[in-house]
Amino acid sequence: MDAIYWPSVFFLLFGGTACTFAVAVLVSKNIVRMAFYLILSLAATAGLFFLAGADFVGAMQLMIYVGGTLVLLVFGVMLTSQERFVEMKSDAGDWVIGFLAGGALLATLIWAAVSIPAWQGMSRAEAEALTVEKTATPLGMSLVGFRVDNPKESGYLFPFEIVSVHLLVVLVGAAYLARAKRKITKVALASEPSSAGTDQN
Amino acid sequence: MDPASTLPTLLMWAWLVPLISFVFILFFGKYLGPHGKGAGYVATLAIVTSGILSFTALFGVWLPNHELPAASGHQEEHAEEVDHHVHSRHVRSESLFQPAALFDEKDPLELEQRGEEAAHGAAESHANNPSPKYYTHDWYDFATFGKLRLTIGCYIDSLTVVMFCMVSLIASCVHFYAMGYMHDELHDFTDPEVTLSNGEHLKRPGRYHRFFQYLSLFCFSMFGVVIAGNLAMVFVFWELVGICSYFLIGFYIERKSASTAANKAFIVNRVGDFGMLIGLMALWSSLGTLSFGDTQDAQGNVARQGIFSQLRTEANDYHLKPTEGMVAEGQRIAPAVPSTVEAGVDSENHAGQWLLLVAGIGIFCGCVGKSAQFPLHVWLPDAMEGPTPVSALVHSATMVAAGVYLVGRFFPAFSPEALLVIAYIGCITLVIAATIAITATDIKRVLAYSTVSQLGYMMLALGLGGWVAGMFHLITHAFFKSLLFLCSGSVIHGVHTNDMTEMGGLRKKMPVTAYTMLVGCLAIIGAGIPIIGPGFSGYYSKDAIIEQAFSFGSNNPQHVVLQWAPVGGALITAFYMFRLWYMTFAGKPRNQDRYDHAHESPRIMTAPLVLLAVFALGVGWAVPGSNLKVTSLLEQSRPVGTLSTSHGELLPSLVIPNEHDSHSPEFKVPAGWAAFGTAGAGLLLATIIYLWGGLNPTELRQRFKLLHSWLWNKWWFDEIYGAVFIAPCMLVAKWISKFDLGIIDPIIHGTAAACKGGSKVVDAVFDRTLVDGTANGLARGTWDLGLWLRKIQTGNLRQYIMLIVISTVVLFAAASYLPLIISFQ
Amino acid sequence: MIHLPLASLLTEPVGAMHYVVVGAILFTCGVLCMATKRNALGVLMGIELVLNGANMNFIAFGSRYLRGDANSMGLDGQLIALFVIVLAAAEAAVALAIVLNFYNNHNSIDVDRADQLQG
Repeated sequence: MDAIYWPSVFFLLFGGTACTFAVAVLVSKNIVRMAFYLILSLAATAGLFFLAGADFVGAMQLMIYVGGTLVLLVFGVMLTSQERFVEMKSDAGDWVIGFLAGGALLATLIWAAVSIPAWQGMSRAEAEALTVEKTATPLGMSLVGFRVDNPKESGYLFPFEIVSVHLLVVLVGAAYLARAKRKITKVALASEPSSAGTDQN
Repeated sequence: MDPASTLPTLLMWAWLVPLISFVFILFFGKYLGPHGKGAGYVATLAIVTSGILSFTALFGVWLPNHELPAASGHQEEHAEEVDHHVHSRHVRSESLFQPAALFDEKDPLELEQRGEEAAHGAAESHANNPSPKYYTHDWYDFATFGKLRLTIGCYIDSLTVVMFCMVSLIASCVHFYAMGYMHDELHDFTDPEVTLSNGEHLKRPGRYHRFFQYLSLFCFSMFGVVIAGNLAMVFVFWELVGICSYFLIGFYIERKSASTAANKAFIVNRVGDFGMLIGLMALWSSLGTLSFGDTQDAQGNVARQGIFSQLRTEANDYHLKPTEGMVAEGQRIAPAVPSTVEAGVDSENHAGQWLLLVAGIGIFCGCVGKSAQFPLHVWLPDAMEGPTPVSALVHSATMVAAGVYLVGRFFPAFSPEALLVIAYIGCITLVIAATIAITATDIKRVLAYSTVSQLGYMMLALGLGGWVAGMFHLITHAFFKSLLFLCSGSVIHGVHTNDMTEMGGLRKKMPVTAYTMLVGCLAIIGAGIPIIGPGFSGYYSKDAIIEQAFSFGSNNPQHVVLQWAPVGGALITAFYMFRLWYMTFAGKPRNQDRYDHAHESPRIMTAPLVLLAVFALGVGWAVPGSNLKVTSLLEQSRPVGTLSTSHGELLPSLVIPNEHDSHSPEFKVPAGWAAFGTAGAGLLLATIIYLWGGLNPTELRQRFKLLHSWLWNKWWFDEIYGAVFIAPCMLVAKWISKFDLGIIDPIIHGTAAACKGGSKVVDAVFDRTLVDGTANGLARGTWDLGLWLRKIQTGNLRQYIMLIVISTVVLFAAASYLPLIISFQ
Repeated sequence: MIHLPLASLLTEPVGAMHYVVVGAILFTCGVLCMATKRNALGVLMGIELVLNGANMNFIAFGSRYLRGDANSMGLDGQLIALFVIVLAAAEAAVALAIVLNFYNNHNSIDVDRADQLQG
């Protein structure tokens, strides 16, 4: 037996964790547990990112995704978890169809992935010859328009700006959507029987 | 005054003034006074104007320009010719028969020679007369078909002028009379002869103006016939006269009898006109013209020859000699039989003669219809349904005389064989009609049959060659027959019945009517001193006819019946006329009620009677102080070529003697005695039976029941015609109607029903099932599809996601595997 | 026998294939979560998993360590993954706002209750 290639072991570790907890999210009935499992799965994903050499992205994953988005999700869970909503079961028929369809999808994807020779890994010798480079600076430079690795190409300035605006819009929208609704008096209720907004605060 | 221009103008206006009156009354008659009383004045004014114009034409234009022949009788003329043939012919040629403008001045030498030749010939056949003086003028070119020119033009000779005067005079009298007679039409009229379905009599507004409108139109048409210069124009006005007669007979249109009579008159006339058209066709196709006289061009030369000059050429001494096939030289399409035939000579098979005969008989057919000769006489007695003025004017004096007039006008073109046919028809007619008149009890019917009989006399006279006799009888008959009719109308007006068996002794109540009618009766029987003396107008004309008959009979022993028929007819005429007079005016009144109510007619009706009586008395006499006689006037228009005896070509034994021979004593004396004797005998017989009561008419009727029934039923003519012509016609009509109703109608109805059924089937199968089904099916299908597709929209979010997933998988699989599958093919 | 493939997993460097497989598993789990969970927040979690699966792919193909210098997408892969993360965050915020609104209106977090678009 050859010497153990430790990156692969870590890969297996992180990959297994991610997959296991993703399946757990799927299978679990309790919404809170689902949230927790998701956090764990996405953390493992971040580890995978680090392994693949995307150190900045991995860090961002942990910071933004796990630390922001999922926390938001947890907040949502906390806001809406009434007694009867914590555990909700789906119809068995749905599970079967789901597994069939999902199985088919998974099979197709895996088969596609496995059957392309170019996606097979490098040889060990080559892999050991590689050096590790940091990616934060090149990423930052390309975000403001200058590609370090390929100066002829344009950078990602334009998408960067768009995404910025997009975030602004999303913020505004989310703030608007989540605003506090006015208190509805009895008179208004009588004249508008089909009012969509109710004061539940 | 140049007669060539003034005569046509005067007579044209005399002709057109009644037309103006007609148009005026047509549009404005209703408004001229209550029920159009003014229309009567307008019409009368018009006809009197025509009369004035006609008499002006006669006295002011014709007579000053054309000398009458010598006042002495024809015998002297004849003697003169024989002795002084040169001189007299010379004189005569200059003054009378030689129209200066029309023909070149004859060389006197030629005439002498011809006269000599003639004198050396048989005493009978002296040289023939050329065409009489006439004036032609074409007012309007109607149409031109190849060589045929149809024009509205005139042919004016003395006969025309005399006819104009006679017609306008009698028409004026009738107009005045009608103004009185038709006063019933001035207010709402209850017709006693028309019963409605609810049993009442018809009440209708008066139609006074209509009557005068028709009278005016009739006068216009009659003048048109007289003045016509060609046969086409004659035909047009012939028909017009017929339609006026139709209107007038059917004046009381609500009476079935009147409307039937009007139809009968028109249809029977039409039958005759059919023959006339054949004659017209024969003439046109062979001679190429329908004009009577020649038309002149501006220089006075003959531009186009008329019928008479083509048939009676100077080269033939004006004898009737049709050329080969009657087609003139230069007019033939195909070449004639060569060289053996000379121009002017007929071929061996007499084709020209036969064609001429056909033409003559064809034209005569029209006259048979119009003048009510046998066999088309059946309409005239029924025509008495019209008001009496109509009978007086139309059916005694003018329209029926149009036929005789046409025979007289067309005389030069009648071949001797045609003339024989005419004579026989006239003879048969006169006998039949006279016999029927013996038994008739309706006063107007007696007069109607008398008219038919007298027309037969005229035709007979013309057929026997007595042109002047026939035309003179036409004129005298016009006067006394219209007088008789107007008197009968006066009687009817006073007594309110036509039936003579309800009359009697009326002369005390209606003296003027009675004695004017007596004048008329005497005129019709030809009363007068025999042979020498003066007489009523009818005496002269009737004696002339009988003289001609005797002359003819002596020349044609095989046709002796034609000689004695007029004589017998005279006896019967005298009998029935005086029977009429005695039954009406003499004896005791048979219906006291009617006698009491009888009254004399108003002066407007009796004045024309008196005037006509004067003419009936004296129209045969010369105007006192001159030699102006009607016969002389007529002699002035003796047709070309009739002065000499003619011999038949197809019947070589036929001799038509010339008229002047009949005035010789060998014929004049026996004829005079025969006429006088028979008339007297008839008068005596009538007097015995009806005045003195010597023989009871009822007993006579019983004894001669069969004969009486035969005559009473008019020789069963109407029934025979009904069975022979009308019944088969109706039968055929019924069959055709049955065919139409039974076969054609069902076919059409069946087709329609089939169409309907077919359309129903198409509707059900095609429209409803297919088309509607398709449309509805499409709609329902779309709806159902929508409803089905709607099921996909479950609103279930998870399902949507699942579907997305499945679709993605399928898409992916397809994209992956499809190229493989395709590459494996 | 089972040893051998697994053994190579331990001894040989991992290629893009392995990452893609992981990504596929994540993706599938996320899809199934979206499809089967009745809780709206469960659906949101599924969305996060899906996005992460996609990110995995991008990172895998953009890594020079897995694919070698010449074959990888280089920085592009990582940049795209970065953008995806950002957008996922934005979208999660809005989605949560919607879900909360829904929860406020219907007093239920059950997505089966959101069937008003049923035809």
